[in-house]
Amino acid sequence: MANLVEEFAEFRKSRVWRSVFRAGSGQSNLHRSLAVQQNVFLHLAAVKVRRRALEFGVTWYLGTLSLACFLILTVTGILLMLYYHPSVPQAYADMKDLQFVVSAGVFLRNLHRWSAHAMVLLVFAHLFKVFYRGAYRPPREFNWVIGVILLMITLFLSYTGYLLPWDQLAFWAITVGSNILAAVPLLGAKIRFLILGGHTVNANALLRFYVLHCVILPLIAALFVAVHFWRIRKDGGLYTGEKSDD
Amino acid sequence: MTEPKDFTASMDSDSRRTPVRVAFVTRRTSPQVRTRDDRYVMTYPEVLFRAAVASEILLLALALVSLFWNAPLEGLADPMQTPNPAKAPWYFLGLQELLHYFPPVVGGVLIPTLVVLALIVIPYFGINIEAEGFWIRNRDAKVRTLILVVALVAVFLSWFKVWAVLIPTVAIVALTLVGAFPSAHAGAFRRWLHLKPLPFWIMSWFLIVATILTLIGTFFRGAGWALVWPWEVD
Amino acid sequence: MRERIRSAYHTLFGASARAFGTLSVVLLVVLAVVPARDHLREWLHYQNEYLNLIRNRSDGLSLARRFQGGVQQIWLPELGVVDRCATCHIALKEASLAGVGPQPFLPHPPIPHSLTEFGCVMCHRGQGAATTVEEAHRSTLAWEQPILPARYIESSCGECHERPLTGTPQLGAGRAMLARYGCVHCHKLTSPESRTVAGTDDPPPLKHIAAKTTREWIFAWIKNPQAYAATATMPNFQLSDDDARDISAFLIGQSTPYTTEAIKVPPVPATDDAAALQQGSSTYGESFCASCHAMQNAAGLLVGGDLGPELTRIGSKVRPEWLAEWIRDPKTYDPDTRMPHFRFEAKDIGLIMGFLESKTDSDFLANVHLSAATPSQITHGKQLVVERGCAVCHDINGVAHQENFAPDLTAVGSLPLSKIIFLPGMPHTLPDYIAAKIRKPRSFGNALKMPQFTLSDAQVDALVTALLAQTSRGKTLPPALRIPAPEPSTYQPAGRAGQLMNDLRCFSCHTINGRGGDMAPDLSWEGTSVQRSWLVKFLKAPNTLRPALIRRMPKFNLSDEEANVLADYILTVYQTPAFDRDQIGASKFTSGDAAHGKDLYYGKYACNSCHILDPNKDKGYIGPTLTQVGLRLNAAWIFRWLKNAQALRPGSLELNWNMNDDDARAITAFLMQPKAPPQQGASK
Repeated sequence: MANLVEEFAEFRKSRVWRSVFRAGSGQSNLHRSLAVQQNVFLHLAAVKVRRRALEFGVTWYLGTLSLACFLILTVTGILLMLYYHPSVPQAYADMKDLQFVVSAGVFLRNLHRWSAHAMVLLVFAHLFKVFYRGAYRPPREFNWVIGVILLMITLFLSYTGYLLPWDQLAFWAITVGSNILAAVPLLGAKIRFLILGGHTVNANALLRFYVLHCVILPLIAALFVAVHFWRIRKDGGLYTGEKSDD
Repeated sequence: MTEPKDFTASMDSDSRRTPVRVAFVTRRTSPQVRTRDDRYVMTYPEVLFRAAVASEILLLALALVSLFWNAPLEGLADPMQTPNPAKAPWYFLGLQELLHYFPPVVGGVLIPTLVVLALIVIPYFGINIEAEGFWIRNRDAKVRTLILVVALVAVFLSWFKVWAVLIPTVAIVALTLVGAFPSAHAGAFRRWLHLKPLPFWIMSWFLIVATILTLIGTFFRGAGWALVWPWEVD
Repeated sequence: MRERIRSAYHTLFGASARAFGTLSVVLLVVLAVVPARDHLREWLHYQNEYLNLIRNRSDGLSLARRFQGGVQQIWLPELGVVDRCATCHIALKEASLAGVGPQPFLPHPPIPHSLTEFGCVMCHRGQGAATTVEEAHRSTLAWEQPILPARYIESSCGECHERPLTGTPQLGAGRAMLARYGCVHCHKLTSPESRTVAGTDDPPPLKHIAAKTTREWIFAWIKNPQAYAATATMPNFQLSDDDARDISAFLIGQSTPYTTEAIKVPPVPATDDAAALQQGSSTYGESFCASCHAMQNAAGLLVGGDLGPELTRIGSKVRPEWLAEWIRDPKTYDPDTRMPHFRFEAKDIGLIMGFLESKTDSDFLANVHLSAATPSQITHGKQLVVERGCAVCHDINGVAHQENFAPDLTAVGSLPLSKIIFLPGMPHTLPDYIAAKIRKPRSFGNALKMPQFTLSDAQVDALVTALLAQTSRGKTLPPALRIPAPEPSTYQPAGRAGQLMNDLRCFSCHTINGRGGDMAPDLSWEGTSVQRSWLVKFLKAPNTLRPALIRRMPKFNLSDEEANVLADYILTVYQTPAFDRDQIGASKFTSGDAAHGKDLYYGKYACNSCHILDPNKDKGYIGPTLTQVGLRLNAAWIFRWLKNAQALRPGSLELNWNMNDDDARAITAFLMQPKAPPQQGASK
């Protein structure tokens, strides 16, 4: 065991490793800072974080958990896409295939579904937590706006995904939801037509929702998530309520 | 070294107070830099590991749920056969509940649009930023205004028979008023209420009303959107 | 101890990196459960059990070689079939395992279709895609159709086959009942070809009912039709005495005279004139009234056909003047009746009337005492007639015919369970619901209008089977799979012969060119088949062709001229396009042909097993008697018949001999040979 650790430590000094992770293997704060700065994914975040911001009570980790849900949903969603045809009535037959013949198909679908519900809940909770802590105040006001936009995207992601199983639950939930849209004065019917690709929920709506759910909305969400994280750093790190820091 | 010094030497590692650091090495001292700042932790590895642990706990919980509870699946979509009741996804059920009371333009368009706009503009209004205790100034005028506004809202809600919103509204306003007149020997809770700003009250009102409406829509609405007990909801 | 827990906690979760490592291990374990669960699937268990079952059998090796592990499925995209039933029902095609194992290891009984042609759920319902017992067989939120109980399985044949099938007696009986018991008058049944199923029960018009019967009889009848005649198809509307009183008052009140001419009632023998009654009974018999009408005999058994109403208590029902005119020419009273116009002489009418009027039941009307109807009773009676939908079946003055009186049953076989309101305690399945509705309609609410039918369990099962066949699938099936019912024909023969055939109601029993009843042979090609001299004689005095048959064509008392007109028309018009009836002249046969034919007749083909040629020797009672076949049929017809009878008359009991030309020719020669004069004359 110890041997392995040592060998790994050796490996981290090799040219190959260094070509990938330029920060090197040192234990100093400089190395640790570089590890974050030099990583395209991590560089959005600050190199240092206030110790207090890591306390559970400050954030309840709601933002982290929302991101985790998003990642779980991305992975399970891509796996589900391997078995799914956005066509009527094959979409429903695919649900049955997931249930009855695909290895771990039920688990995949369950995990995707429950994670989706969890994400909606967590994002809402995140919003309220931020509000009650006053973390939306300047200089973080624009990040709050991005947060609200992300909430809308989350809801729309969940809503578009709701139709995909093409069962009675999906069909009528979307029908009810899209009928609400139709109540918009003047443009209602047109907006609904745009979203459904028709006057009723049908095969066109399924295809449209599929594309929205699997391509367009996740991309937009990823974009805004990136900005959201980057802005945390740019707006002075996570809000901790410590007066001296502001 | 006869000219007078126009600077003073000192040691500091606070980057904000002394952005430029110059170290003078004299014979009697050796260089000393604070290497640790206890108020900060490095993102790598501490924060990343913590985030990973939180995510793993979440995934673990969701995986266990997924092992034991199957996602709902009903019969093939049939446009000819309307289930009764036809329900939207749970996070829209509060909205659907509103539609039961208000005309679609109000319940389905006006209210959600206002909510979203209100959420967006929150950080751009001074009242939300100052967060001054609601009752600290102009208390009597505010009490009068509050009662007037709430009476108008109550009439409006009664007109549409929206008891599910009216009752929590009245309850929250009552709670607000409890905090309005803290006597000298008032309890800690009452003093806490007294110091809460207006945005707190509005957001709490929104949160509670939205939760109640969603719960009613999810658990207490059966065929024909009639009130039923949770165990009677299919 | 506490110290150890603390140190263990520190080792596992002491730092975030340690917690990360520990949780990762736990997570991997939990995620490993997911693929592990795949090895606990139900169908794996059944496949292992099957292998155990066949292990020690003598044919175990070949069975094992044919066994395929894993999910088995029948996939028919054009039918929307994805059936994985064979994953557990492994031995469906292994006939050697019949009766051996428990389900799911039994082979499928032989059926006309290949098992992979339509899959399983097309016939059995259930959820084909499922691979668990529960999901496959029972109704769930995601699948409404549970397995169809085996006793209704014929209904699935009916989803494609609208034409009657010999292999589905229950479905056929059920469909016949839907038409016969008047179900289709109230409930619309539309085929995917958009044809509405018509009733076959011929409900009588009530516009002149007062001329036919009394108010007392109407009262007793509508109270309980089955008390008057056990075979009555009119259901029991469960009317109260007051309602029956008012309806009878209205029906008598709305009645108008049906003829302006005075009806001459011929002399009817007195009821105690035993000789005359006997004579009337003979006339009734010789006229073959029993071909259509049933009557209880002394032993209480019902004898006779069911095309017309049962006559057991007819004497308690009809008025003499009406009966006299009805027997003379039924069309005076009911222009649409199916009863033929017999050309009876007045004397015979009197005799038959005497016989029929003796058929009374003093009990039937014993307790009916009605005082004169009041206007308010008549008004209420009319209201009841409208409410109960009497005019759906019957023509009634002043009440418009009611359309769509009851729910359309076209797709009742795929009625969603969510739309059904079940009674407490009843199984939540469609067949149970339909059966309960038929058995006791009012148990679903006293305000329901559907009347009470008197049906045996077998009849209820037949009706449920026929109704379950009414699915919406008919519309979604590829057209190539559908076997629609024959197009209803409006064929009408022309000219004087056409009028005569109408008058004699030939179509009540015979089918010609697709129109008509099925009690008597199809006459579409009769002209090719028979010889003119025989036909004329038969029309004038029909005899029975089949020894085993008690029914035969009634004697219509046709004049010579009428018989000749009909014979000419039949011979000229009703010809098969397949061959010429004069193709083979009887004179061309040699006696050698006939002798060879005789050998074949009694030897190789053993025709005498079914047919009687020599009444003293032969004992065949299945087919028609052939004593005079040489005088009845044309040689060309016999020849073709011997070669392929099914081509001439589909569904005939005659075997398809596929005879070679020489054999057929020889037997034809033998049959055409003049036989010894028959013992009985052609006419009785």
